[in-house]
Amino acid sequence: MELSQRDRLSELVEELTTSGQPQLHPERMKEVKRICRASNDCIEHVYNSVMSQLNQEHAEVRLSAFQIAMELFSRSHHFRTLLVDNFQEFLELTVETDSEQPLPPPKEVARKLRAQAIQAVQSWQDSYGTAYKKLALGFHFLKQVKKVDFQDAEARTVSERRREEETQRKRERIYKERVEAACTDMEESYQEIEATLTEMESCMSLLIPGFHFTESHTANSSPPHSQPANEPSAVEDEPCCSKDLQEERTEGRVQEEEEEEKNNDSEGTIGDMKEGRIQEEEEEKNNDSEGTIGDMKEGRIQEEEEEEEEEKNNDSEGTIGDMKERRTEERDLEGRGVDEQEKEKGKEEEEEEEEEEEEEEEEEESSVEEKEGPRDENAFIRSSGLISHSYNLDLNLSPGLHVRETEDNEAVVTTVIDLHRLIMSKHLPAVQSWVQVFTKSCAEQRLLQRALDLKRSLETALQKHKELHIDYKTRQRRVMKATDGEEDDDDDDDDEDFDEVPEKEGYEPHIPEHLRAEYGLDPVPSTSTAPAPKRAPAKAPAAPPPPSFSSIRRLKRLMDDEEQDPTCAAATQRRLTQTLPLPAEPSSSGPGSSSGPGSSQKATDAPVVPFGLDLYYWGQEQPNAGKIIKSASQHQFWVPIDVDEEVENKELLAESRSRYISFPGSFTPVSHHCRAPLGGGKLCQRQDRLKCPFHGGIVPRDQEGRPCRLEDRLREEKEERKRREEHPDWKDADLMRDIEAATGEDLGSDRLGKKRKGKKKKYPNLSDLKQSANTSRSRLEKKVLNKSAMRRVAEVMSKADSRKHDKFSNQFNYAIH
Amino acid sequence: MLGFLTARQAGVDDPLRLRRAESTRRVLSLKLNPDRDVDRIHGNGINTIDIEAVEGRYMLSGGADGVIVIYDLENYSRKLQYTCKAVCTVGRSSRYVHKFSVETVQWYPYDTGMFVSSSFDKTMKVWDTETLKPAEVFEFEGNVYSHHLSPIARKHSLIAVGTTDPKIQLCDLKSGSRIHVLQGHRAEILSVRWSPRYDHILATASADSKVKVWDVRRASGSLFTLDQHNGDKSKASSEAVNTAHNGRVNGLCFTGDGLYLLTTGTDDRMRLWNSATGENTLVNYGKVCNESRKRLQFTVSRGCSPEFVFVPCGSSVAVYALHTGELVTMLRGHYNNVDCCEFHPDYQADVIVWRRFKELYTGGKDCNILAWVPAPRAPDVEEESKSANQAAADQSSVNPAFQDAWSSDED
Repeated sequence: MELSQRDRLSELVEELTTSGQPQLHPERMKEVKRICRASNDCIEHVYNSVMSQLNQEHAEVRLSAFQIAMELFSRSHHFRTLLVDNFQEFLELTVETDSEQPLPPPKEVARKLRAQAIQAVQSWQDSYGTAYKKLALGFHFLKQVKKVDFQDAEARTVSERRREEETQRKRERIYKERVEAACTDMEESYQEIEATLTEMESCMSLLIPGFHFTESHTANSSPPHSQPANEPSAVEDEPCCSKDLQEERTEGRVQEEEEEEKNNDSEGTIGDMKEGRIQEEEEEKNNDSEGTIGDMKEGRIQEEEEEEEEEKNNDSEGTIGDMKERRTEERDLEGRGVDEQEKEKGKEEEEEEEEEEEEEEEEEESSVEEKEGPRDENAFIRSSGLISHSYNLDLNLSPGLHVRETEDNEAVVTTVIDLHRLIMSKHLPAVQSWVQVFTKSCAEQRLLQRALDLKRSLETALQKHKELHIDYKTRQRRVMKATDGEEDDDDDDDDEDFDEVPEKEGYEPHIPEHLRAEYGLDPVPSTSTAPAPKRAPAKAPAAPPPPSFSSIRRLKRLMDDEEQDPTCAAATQRRLTQTLPLPAEPSSSGPGSSSGPGSSQKATDAPVVPFGLDLYYWGQEQPNAGKIIKSASQHQFWVPIDVDEEVENKELLAESRSRYISFPGSFTPVSHHCRAPLGGGKLCQRQDRLKCPFHGGIVPRDQEGRPCRLEDRLREEKEERKRREEHPDWKDADLMRDIEAATGEDLGSDRLGKKRKGKKKKYPNLSDLKQSANTSRSRLEKKVLNKSAMRRVAEVMSKADSRKHDKFSNQFNYAIH
Repeated sequence: MLGFLTARQAGVDDPLRLRRAESTRRVLSLKLNPDRDVDRIHGNGINTIDIEAVEGRYMLSGGADGVIVIYDLENYSRKLQYTCKAVCTVGRSSRYVHKFSVETVQWYPYDTGMFVSSSFDKTMKVWDTETLKPAEVFEFEGNVYSHHLSPIARKHSLIAVGTTDPKIQLCDLKSGSRIHVLQGHRAEILSVRWSPRYDHILATASADSKVKVWDVRRASGSLFTLDQHNGDKSKASSEAVNTAHNGRVNGLCFTGDGLYLLTTGTDDRMRLWNSATGENTLVNYGKVCNESRKRLQFTVSRGCSPEFVFVPCGSSVAVYALHTGELVTMLRGHYNNVDCCEFHPDYQADVIVWRRFKELYTGGKDCNILAWVPAPRAPDVEEESKSANQAAADQSSVNPAFQDAWSSDED
């Protein structure tokens, strides 16, 4: 073999193996093969160089070397003999048969090498196993002793597989435990969840059916949840309700009358304001009597949604609702301003129009008794002439009713809220975690199914709640209204409700700000939202009522309960007290918000300083300032004779009178740029205050980055000239290299280049093994565990130790150590 | 070869000469036999093998899993390809199987109806080959590293047993009892070996790095202790006096004529001793890798003009010239440490047996027993080169795997 061939082969093998590529360069490989074809000597040489490359501690080199070997193995018999003869070493280097010689990093490449090598061994065994005994032996060795699974794509050895199995088993055990835990958990809480669900269901069915009724009437949209079951009953119920209606109403009227009288008696103290308002409203009422009829109807319908009993009161309820709205509007007018009221008015008009439409619809759709209602009412009003009476009732009731009315429904509503919270916070996460556990651990289908069912039902419940919730808010308001109607039944409630208006508003300041927005404005949207379900229940999505809402209400309700009895002293007393906060209220809510910022502005103007002694003694003479009292002896009787008990200390004195205030000034961001010209025609964008670390002091510059002032320009030119002299342009390393390449003369580019570049890597294509080691940990280790540091620490430690020795050498336990 | 034959024909040469020349050639051309397999029965490393001396047909092997297998080496199928069948096995399912690793197996020198095995389960069993039941069980206090039956003894049937106990036990097959104890070593006995020349001479190797040669007729003590420095006190440090090696001595082997004794130690040395005088012949074999903590079974060729020694050395078998210490070749075939090798004696002149004339069997931790056979003699140069070419062509036509497969597009 010629020397040139040999050299060329070595070169090629090195190039191929140090390329760092996952695939061999095909051209070069071809060349290797071409040379190898010439003689066995070449093959031997290639074999030797490949083996030496296989011994390199770099997986990429090994991979490439292995690939060369693979190429040649299928080609040359001689190569095969050589390789098979040293097959053990080959296996050690590629398949990692010797656990004490692990494959070198990088890991991914090593894994790849392993997999490829195992595949190759198998294919070699298939094609050459019979011919090369040692190859077959090697294959068997891998298969039986090293237990390499050749089918396994991962091609792991026994130990690896065992480890894998171990982790697998561990995981399984954990999963099993988790599944069991989840199982028991599920078993335990299944009942609870079921109960919650049924409770929710029934709560909803309590709340929903009426609502659905209207919904189905108005929108004919998909009746949600329990609707189909409940609707018929509602429909069935209605006739009898309507039968009861009149009777009860008459009773109610009587009661109302009685109550009103009472109210008048008791409310005599309430003042004219309310009455005046009532009067206004009465007038209004008369004016839009048509509207009231519509409203009445609407109210009635809502009632139907609610509870059958309420339907009896539909006429009055409607009016109450309207009254309430109007009243709030009026209040708004006072509090907020004309435009809003106009808006509300407009809204109301729209609503009224809609209501009229809906009324028509309803008249078409709904049963006869609905029509009876207004007719009856009208008749009643006409006959009894009690129109004003009922109005009075409404007006007085509306605000107070709010609370009390919710009372009935609120139990349900609160339960729903509680249940919702329970589901959201407890059941759903639990169920979700179960599902997760079951799916992860591939548990029994049955369990998973069950968990999924649970989840689904919970989700539907939530969904229902959500749907309801949109309505829920409206619903709640409607509930209030509906119960407004209820009020009519027992007229004795009315005056209490009257009282409760201020009471509620008295409460409002305690409600957090974000709630008050919702709460205080509550009546206003109610006008719009009350008919809303008729139009499209899902149209007005609202935030869920905050939980505190109900609790506060409940608390209030507790108090209300006490005061419900008008004869009770508490009621009277409260009425008295409530009259005062009522007028005060608007100022607290409306103007209060405007005045608040003003005062706070003042507060921000004043400097805030930490409290100190100087403030404490502000403008006083301090008798003891700066005096230190020495108490030399703590003894009861024995006192040293002549000791200055007090010492004047000027510093302390000064300290108590003075105050240090550090005045840092305010930060003004730098707005100018350095703007020194950079290489590519750009300007330096650094924003340093005084001096750019790259371009020196910042001077004003023009568009192209030249200094505006002459002296700056001169200075810069001078510097430039100086720099040029040191490093002439033509001494650029790249340029010189080009010239050198062209002319073949050495101009010293190496010297120049080296100065900048430093050491060049030998094989730039290979991935750097040391790089991966350059972690923060390793850097820290270098610092912390370096020799001198260790020595220093050891010295200090031993010194401390020896000190201890010196000090306590007379004590036996220190003397020993 | 032809020269030898004609000389033999003419009666010029001693018949032994041709025989030796051919034997030597064959030993030198030993290579892994592509045609012969040995059944893989052992699921674990093979610690020991022994080929019976009567017919040279049956081979015993003992594995680290306690299994003992008997192979039939004879190939009566008249085919090149042959797998040595396991005739019978004392497997793990057997009631009498050794509980732990079998360290030594040996045929009864005069009859294949009996063999002896010793194991780390502290027993030595004498087996009836027919029934595969132990006829006698000797129990000891420690693990049995090695035992040996004298191959030539006709007046006694003593089994020398080396255990973790520094005393060498002598068991008599006649009485079935331990009749004698040889005291002198200070550490466990790793290897015991009877001289093939005198039936009362016994060599023992111990972990105290000493090798003693005993005359079992003498009760007082050993004949002599081998000294690596031949009694030269100046070279030996005080504690190295009378030591054969600087580490544990774990291999012992007499040459075929019993005149020399070979020892191997964990100091990676092999030494050749004059067995009559105990003198170190100072043959330098170089480094002979030896990491075994147990007995190392190695062997010496018989009937060659320069004798050869086959020593397991890592995963290969090193072949040394006995008297010059020259490394002749390394036989690579195992993938793990080789624990034992046994030289097949050359008894028969049968054609088939002739093929495995001068065979070497090796067992290793890779569960393989490999047969190393001499390469067939290449056609003589005198024969037509044409026929040689033909043969080569035949061979390649027989096995396409040996052909090169250069694709044409690489030109």
